[in-house]
Amino acid sequence: MKNKIKILIPCLAILFAVAMGISIIVGYFNFIAEKMESDSRSHLIEVYEQVDHSFLSFIDMNWGLLDSCNDYLDLAVRNEDSAADAEQDISAFVARKKAFWGFSGFYFLDEERNFVTPEGERGQLNLSSGWDDVIARREPIMAGDQLAGQNITVFAVPAEHGTFRGFPYSAIAISYTNSDIATALNANAFAGSAKCFILNRKGEVLLSTQVGEGAYVNFLTYLKNSLLQSAGVREEERERIYNEILANFSAMLDDLEKGRTPQTGYLQAPLGVDKQKHCIIYMPVGYEDYFLLSSVPQSAVSEGFLSAQRATLRVMLIIFALVAVAAIACLVFWIVRQLHKNKTELKYRELMFDVLSGTVDDIFIMIDENTQKVDYLSPNVERLLGIKNEEVQNDLRAMAKCAVEYDIVVPKEELEEIPLGGNKHWECEYMHQATGERRWYRVTIYHMNIRDLQKYIIVMSDRTVEQQMNQKLQEALDAAKSANEAKSNFLSNMSHDIRTPMNAIVGFSVLLERSADDPEKVREYTHKIMASSHHLLSLINDVLDMSKIESGKTSLNVSLFDLPDLLEELSIILMPQAKAKEQEFTIHTQGTPPESLMGDRLRLNQILLNLLSNAIKYTPVGGKIEFTVCELQDSAPQFAKLRFIVKDNGIGMSEEFQQEIFKPFSREKNSVINSIQGTGLGMAITKNLVDLMGGIITLVSAPGKGSTFTVELSFALPEENSRQEEWYRQKIARMLVADDEEEICLNIREMMRDTGVDVSYTTSGATALDLAIRAHKHNSDFDVILLDWKMPGMDGVQTARLIREKVGAHIPILVLTSYDWSEIEDEARAAGINAFMPKPFFATTFFQTIKPLFSGAEKPEAPAPAEEGVLNGRRFLVAEDNELNAEILTEMLDIEGARCEVAVNGKIALEMFEKSEPGYYDLILMDVQMPVMNGYEATKAIRNSSHPSAKSIPIIAMTANTFAEDVKSAFDAGMDGHLAKPINMDAVRSTLARFLKKNAQDFEEDDRK
Amino acid sequence: MKKGNLVIVATALFLNAALCACGGKAIDPNALTIMGKASDLQKTYMTRIFDLYRETTGEKLNIIAIEDSAYETTALEKFSKGEYPDIFLHFNNADLQRFDVAANCYYLDGETWVDDLTDGAYQYCLDAEGRLLGLPFWESSVSGCYYNKTLLDEMSLRASTTQEDFDGLCAALKEVGKNAICWPGNGCSWMYQFGLDPVFADDPDLLEKLNSNQTTYAQIPAVKDMMQWIYDAENKGWFGNNSLEVGWDQIGEQLSSGRSVMTFIWDTWFYTDFKPGKYTVDDFALMPVFLNTAPEGTYEGGNLNMMMVYKNSEKRQKALDFLAFCAEPENYNVAFDGISTVNCFKGQTTNIQSKMVTDARDSIDRHERVSTAATKIIGYSADDIALLVNDLFREKLTIAELVTRMDEDRKRIAKGEGVAGF
Repeated sequence: MKNKIKILIPCLAILFAVAMGISIIVGYFNFIAEKMESDSRSHLIEVYEQVDHSFLSFIDMNWGLLDSCNDYLDLAVRNEDSAADAEQDISAFVARKKAFWGFSGFYFLDEERNFVTPEGERGQLNLSSGWDDVIARREPIMAGDQLAGQNITVFAVPAEHGTFRGFPYSAIAISYTNSDIATALNANAFAGSAKCFILNRKGEVLLSTQVGEGAYVNFLTYLKNSLLQSAGVREEERERIYNEILANFSAMLDDLEKGRTPQTGYLQAPLGVDKQKHCIIYMPVGYEDYFLLSSVPQSAVSEGFLSAQRATLRVMLIIFALVAVAAIACLVFWIVRQLHKNKTELKYRELMFDVLSGTVDDIFIMIDENTQKVDYLSPNVERLLGIKNEEVQNDLRAMAKCAVEYDIVVPKEELEEIPLGGNKHWECEYMHQATGERRWYRVTIYHMNIRDLQKYIIVMSDRTVEQQMNQKLQEALDAAKSANEAKSNFLSNMSHDIRTPMNAIVGFSVLLERSADDPEKVREYTHKIMASSHHLLSLINDVLDMSKIESGKTSLNVSLFDLPDLLEELSIILMPQAKAKEQEFTIHTQGTPPESLMGDRLRLNQILLNLLSNAIKYTPVGGKIEFTVCELQDSAPQFAKLRFIVKDNGIGMSEEFQQEIFKPFSREKNSVINSIQGTGLGMAITKNLVDLMGGIITLVSAPGKGSTFTVELSFALPEENSRQEEWYRQKIARMLVADDEEEICLNIREMMRDTGVDVSYTTSGATALDLAIRAHKHNSDFDVILLDWKMPGMDGVQTARLIREKVGAHIPILVLTSYDWSEIEDEARAAGINAFMPKPFFATTFFQTIKPLFSGAEKPEAPAPAEEGVLNGRRFLVAEDNELNAEILTEMLDIEGARCEVAVNGKIALEMFEKSEPGYYDLILMDVQMPVMNGYEATKAIRNSSHPSAKSIPIIAMTANTFAEDVKSAFDAGMDGHLAKPINMDAVRSTLARFLKKNAQDFEEDDRK
Repeated sequence: MKKGNLVIVATALFLNAALCACGGKAIDPNALTIMGKASDLQKTYMTRIFDLYRETTGEKLNIIAIEDSAYETTALEKFSKGEYPDIFLHFNNADLQRFDVAANCYYLDGETWVDDLTDGAYQYCLDAEGRLLGLPFWESSVSGCYYNKTLLDEMSLRASTTQEDFDGLCAALKEVGKNAICWPGNGCSWMYQFGLDPVFADDPDLLEKLNSNQTTYAQIPAVKDMMQWIYDAENKGWFGNNSLEVGWDQIGEQLSSGRSVMTFIWDTWFYTDFKPGKYTVDDFALMPVFLNTAPEGTYEGGNLNMMMVYKNSEKRQKALDFLAFCAEPENYNVAFDGISTVNCFKGQTTNIQSKMVTDARDSIDRHERVSTAATKIIGYSADDIALLVNDLFREKLTIAELVTRMDEDRKRIAKGEGVAGF
């Protein structure tokens, strides 16, 4: 209020000063206007009095001139001897006068107004007015006339009767053109805007005093017409003005007639179409009854005044403006200073508040009660909520999109419920629009009165830290509960899962003991004990594996591996399982996945085996499992990104379980699954391995509709070798493929693209036969023929048989099958089939398969089963601290005809080996974890010993540690192989046989050397 | 007027065919051959004189009437083949130069009838060296400033004798609410030649220089003066407030109603196109045209068709005798009996001359100029100038630009016609 008064007082003072200034100026101008108008009128009258004076002088001058001419005429006639001389003399005289005085003509006139000029021209003048005065009364006259189209003014005086060029004259006259007179009178006042005439009492123009005014005959008539044109001026007014002029004229004439001095007339009237106000002045010229009448536009008369007025006004305005500007400047300066002071304070506060609110995570908003518009918004909104300040500034409702659950924008009704000075608060969650970060705020709305304005101030206090802490605490609590629950579940599961096989083992062991005499029962119970043992083992393996992965101790062993080999191995492992459940198990490739890859083959195998085993496990009998491998195109040049898809039409899984499947010990609870054995760790291990390999695993599943697992992994590619060259070297340029699935044919062609081999294909055996025959007839046999085994109509074997009949035996024919071909092998070979190719087709596999056929080498034999009796008579050094395990192994090897000598720790084993004769022990089976000296140390010591067989004797690790690192450690220590505990006799037999055979060969070679 | 022209042209075409057909059948090697435009040869006074000649002398005439539109080219073609007529009809305009006048024309300065020619007619028929080219045997009119004398009297104003007075008159008329001048800016274009005539008629060298591209309009101050005056007059309201909308058809109404007081036109227009209204033809009088190019104004003399004699004609004397026959007062008074025209011969008494012209005879005799601009300036296009002036009124052009454009238009036409120097 105080500030308002401070501003109001100077403003009022300035307004008062301005009003006073204007009043003074107006008063001054009114005074000046009256004064100037009076002066203008005087000036106007003075100007035309001068014209009048000039006119009278002009007339007098002409009378004088004519008198002098008369005198000269008399003189010339008297002086000259002859008339001709006199006329010549007169002509010269007139010419001189004409040149000096500027008249346009000189006339000798007779009584009939006929004339002759000194040059001899003849004619007649009109001289209608006053001619009688010249002739009868012998008085001079001045009259207007027109001669040769020119308006002239004639001055005529009587002369002594005489003759000129034979023309009898009684008067002489001179004439002026109007422009000459105008020049002489010099009445061109007021910048040519004035009209000035010499009129007679009728208003007839006797002469114009200005150039270009020859148009007017009777100026009073013209004036009347001009008045008539003044539209907007009442007729009575026009009549009044005209009558006033006439009356004044009459009055002047009366004055003249009565010897009184006539008064000069002056009036103002609007004339012409533009109604411009004219000053009309008229005065007798002192000759005859002639009047001078002038009409001057008021603006021209007042021009001087107006220009003075304008100049004065300009000066005053400038002074006034300067004073006003100075006053305003002072005021403005003062106001600006005050405002600046206030503004600075405000700015400081704002700045501080902005800095404060920019620093803190609280949001402040002020809205107007009436308009609901945002008056203030702290600048941290965009940082905290990811929404632009301007957006919120324009419309508070913009914040609604950040609110997770409900809107911050409080309905007007609710706001109105908040009493003045009261507040309302609640908590809500917001999400950052850009980052998705969530924040918790305690929103408090204060209803306040600020300078008589009702405002709502919204304070959003950040409670995120507290909320997060609470949330973490809750999560920790939940996690603890969950962990506890998981541990309980785990223990419960483990307890159940371990107890189940253990129960079987214990139970059947008891039964075995009791039925020791019944070989049938013994075999049965032993078999069941073994099954339970295997299950228990796998359970323990998974638990350990998982434990290791979770503890971050798992690492990848990257090496070059062959994808087709891996797939073939998977096929070999899984095909029998699928076959056992009468499931259709197919392996497909899409595109051209590279065959050689750099990666951890073991882990990949583990991942795929897990997925495929599960697929087979959870797909009912007769179901379908598809395994597809395809290469993705978005990988880097040195890498191959592969997608492995395991799709089954099994029991599928619920949406909820899909969220849990990759967590440890998760198994869906339903009757089907409960009947299937499992640890609940397989998928967790798989997921962890995929993560470890930098891949992703996804799942699409629905209960009763099956599941599809997709794994995407990237593998480095080995350096590429020229493949075409190899095919060319083998002279394989054309091949024929027959498969009822065209996609497979196209796939084969695509995979063979880089080899340079031209692939023709057909989807039927009959067509394949036809193509082979035709090619043969044209001496362009295919170099190799690949036939699908199971084709509708003519199958692969039949087709091969007919091809051999029609074409001959020189073309290698291979059968492509995803089935176990052992059952048809004999029939196929009899039909002329040279070899078998497993599906999916890989060029490398194909090449390796057919290479021997082209090089003449025989087909490599299938690996022989482990030799029976290979262990017979062998002697092994067994380092095993566990007496039971040592006994089991000893007994088992004893069954195979081998003899074992047991060392209870590594040190003893070392000593026993060192003491032994070379060749005494065929092989050492080394436990790893042993007291005194473990297996690694013992192995290293053996290898480093001076025993002749120290370097060559095969040492096989025998440990429950089955991880890759364990295997690697074994090799690093100098061991040659690895056998996992518990001992699988087949594995033991096979492994030992391999090393024994190898060792024997080495010995032979050594002997040869 | 325009409809009238159509009738004349149609009649001319018919007569042309008829005359040609007659000529084709009746060519007499001993008879004089007269070549002219079909429409010219069928004029009443022409056919009258031909008939009178035949009747009086018993001689025959071979009349070669050429279709109007092809007159120049056909005549030139005949000349180029040596087919010269004994008497050749042509206006004394720029086109005449194409017929190599100096080589083919017999100059008539020594003929006995020369003194009987009015000054205007005589002047018109002279070439650049002042030699008489032909006998003007044609109807004619006087172009000037026709004004409503009655109205001026009512206003107590008088006609002007100088440019300054004329300006004063226009201003006075404007002040009393009258359109001083009816200026038909919509499609009419003859006014400009009135102003230009004195500039070129008074200085034949200037015309020659312009026609040989040694000077330009832009270099002639009078041209700019005229355009400036026209522009000022329009801006001062002397042409009224709708000059660009007033065309040929509105001139009569403007004058007969008294809305406009003056216009620049010719006397015969009052007998062909003017329809009386509040004012009749008797209310009008004639004064010179003032376009700021002649201090005391100017009148444009008529365009006259001349009878020219072929210099090398075997029947040249006979042709001269024919011209002398035509120039006999008793013969031309028969031929022009009742024809509305100003006099070509001083002794013309039977033709009808308007009172306006006779009243202004003295002024006409002093200020009449031979029609020059429209007829003798090569490339002169009144229509082009009119369009440019309209743009000037619309403030699309300045005076300087207008004059430049006038030059450009003129040069373009001259160049198109292959005139030397362009």
